[in-house]
Amino acid sequence: MAAEAVIAAVDVGMSVEQIAASQVGMKAIGAGLAVGLTGIGTGVAEMGIGAAAVGAIAENKDFFGLGLLFTVIPETIVIFGLVVGLLLLFL
Amino acid sequence: MLKPKRMSRLLIAASRDQMAPVIAELYRHNLFHIEEYVDAGAEGYEGFKIGSPLSGASEKSADLIRIRAMTNAVALSADDVDAAPSCSRDELQTRIEKELPVLAREVEELTVRRSKLDTRVKELEQKIVEITPFLDVPADLNLYHGYKRFTTIAGYVSREVIIPVPCEMHFSKGKEKNFLVVVYPTEQRADVEKALAEAGFQSVPVPNESGSPKGRIEFYQGEIATLNREIEEISRTLDQVKAKHASFLVACEELLKAEVDQTEAPLRFATTKQTFVAEGWVPTDQVTAVTNSLVHVAEGKIFVTVLPTDLEHDSVPVEYNNPDFAKPTQVLMDVYSRPSYTEVDPTLMIAVVFPIFFGLILGDVGYGLILLIMSMALRKYLKGEAGNQLLDVLRNASLSSIFFGIIFSEFLGFAIPGWNPVLYSRHLMSGEHGGHGPNIPELMVLSIWIGIAHITLGRLLGMYNHAKQDHGHHRTLAVMANFGWLAVMWGIILAIWSVAAVPLMPDFTGLPALATVPGLGLGLNLTMFIGGALILVGIIFIARESVLEVIELPTIVSHVLSYARIVAVGLSSVAIAMVVNFMTFDMFINPALENFSIISIVLILIGLGIFLFGHTLNIALGILGGGLHSIRLHYVEFFTKFYKGGGRKYNPFGMNRRFTEE
Repeated sequence: MAAEAVIAAVDVGMSVEQIAASQVGMKAIGAGLAVGLTGIGTGVAEMGIGAAAVGAIAENKDFFGLGLLFTVIPETIVIFGLVVGLLLLFL
Repeated sequence: MLKPKRMSRLLIAASRDQMAPVIAELYRHNLFHIEEYVDAGAEGYEGFKIGSPLSGASEKSADLIRIRAMTNAVALSADDVDAAPSCSRDELQTRIEKELPVLAREVEELTVRRSKLDTRVKELEQKIVEITPFLDVPADLNLYHGYKRFTTIAGYVSREVIIPVPCEMHFSKGKEKNFLVVVYPTEQRADVEKALAEAGFQSVPVPNESGSPKGRIEFYQGEIATLNREIEEISRTLDQVKAKHASFLVACEELLKAEVDQTEAPLRFATTKQTFVAEGWVPTDQVTAVTNSLVHVAEGKIFVTVLPTDLEHDSVPVEYNNPDFAKPTQVLMDVYSRPSYTEVDPTLMIAVVFPIFFGLILGDVGYGLILLIMSMALRKYLKGEAGNQLLDVLRNASLSSIFFGIIFSEFLGFAIPGWNPVLYSRHLMSGEHGGHGPNIPELMVLSIWIGIAHITLGRLLGMYNHAKQDHGHHRTLAVMANFGWLAVMWGIILAIWSVAAVPLMPDFTGLPALATVPGLGLGLNLTMFIGGALILVGIIFIARESVLEVIELPTIVSHVLSYARIVAVGLSSVAIAMVVNFMTFDMFINPALENFSIISIVLILIGLGIFLFGHTLNIALGILGGGLHSIRLHYVEFFTKFYKGGGRKYNPFGMNRRFTEE
């Protein structure tokens, strides 16, 4: 790893510290993408469910529990993103 | 505990002249859930009819409606008034006869006057709307009418228009539409209308007024202001009436509601000319007490018996049976669905596990204290039963939050000075604030363990429920399918343990390989074989109940991993708190204090603003995140394993008196 980094540093004219820093940066970008993209995915999925659930609750209040349940099901996606992000940053 | 209250089906039969005392006694007990009699020729009920109300029902109903009209008029709700059982029945009865009509007349007069004024205000506002377009026309309003041979017409047109007859007209250009007033000879109406129609004319009424448009509008505005002042005056008087008579009104309403309920109860009974029969549900442990007191009031001339319960066909009303500390959690159960009579009631488990999840997510002493204070302070504003229960849930959750805050050593995102986190740290920023880095992998695995335990419990309960509720072949299949799901989950876990070393979990990678996969060189050890066998057996059991269920297999993994949210959501809340603190102190306040000058004061103020705003936001997010995610883990991951719900609420005949005495 260190030897490769030194070789890479020689190749692109960066110091080892710079390479290490950019690796940290890449990890951060990856974590950000994981959370951001899964967030968008969850949002898109919850959009339709949420609208339908609110409609159903307006018709019948007893539907609240089930409606909430349906709405938060896609939440798992963003949680996975968050988990991946945390693992990237701290593992 | 863990089961709804046991109920017995009670049948009461007596002669009709015992009806009133029996109803009064049942109402006093507040235990008898009436099974309404429907005139459908049920077996054994030939010749029975629905009963008719007791005497005085219509007067009492009329009184009740009058009271409700008054409480509506003054916007009074019984939930807003503190319970104070002060008045005795007779005292209240005389006051209802004496004071109520006077008070009713007063309130009615006020409300009628207020609604009249409201209508008048609406009329005047309409007039203003009508006059407004004419503001641009430099003519008095009385010039628009009073002609014999001329007609006035006004309205909006899309473009400038040329009228082909001799006429007076005023065209004012507007932003979106143009306003036009035309006075033309009546006999040439057809030509004018044709020309206007081509320009997309939309007519508006010409106001029947005199004077300048501006003057009239000002005049009407003045009148509206006067009327509004009068309306406010009336509203203030009504508020005074409300403040003065609130306790009397709610007590009246309660008393009358009790009487109306009782007089109308026969409508739910089966009657013949001489007798009546009432069926209903009573908690099994109260049957003797209810029976004895009924026999006592009817002086023995009554027949009370317990009918056999048929769990297959009877829909038994469900009343929770929980220890006191778990009672508030019932509100969370009712949001989902009340348990059915035959299944396990998981309220107690939620009462224990929900605060733990909440605390694990929002483990912060500062936030916990703030939520605790909130749950106390909001009690003043939320007086209803459901509101209070929710606040109790919040209180328990915040206590757990404080507890886990001490474990995690967190106070508003800071480390508690001189106190290291017990077990695992969530401090994201090592250095000044944290000291040592976070134990993310350990926390993550811990949450997965919680998930495995929770889901295993859910599946075991599922097996129990199916064993209790189902019959015959289906029962065996359903129990085995639940076992199958459990077997697949543990099979996957064993398989993972046999190939990968996970912190805090057993490590079977060191076991000797019994076989190797040719080509890959992957060694298969004993646990891998056990795991594989469990998965296989599990899938067979699941498929035996329903083949389609097999496509749901991936949910085993996703549901267990879903528990990682306990750590993930918690860490995001810690991160926000630490960022807020970093911005407040490291970016604003500390630099400002180093070189103190006038600007420093501004910087410190900005820092404090960020601190307040950031933590308020984080608390709101914390309630949402901690509450919603904890309850979601129950609803989605836990309940789907065993819980059906759909129980009928036990709604006994009677009331919890809050303002009146017997």
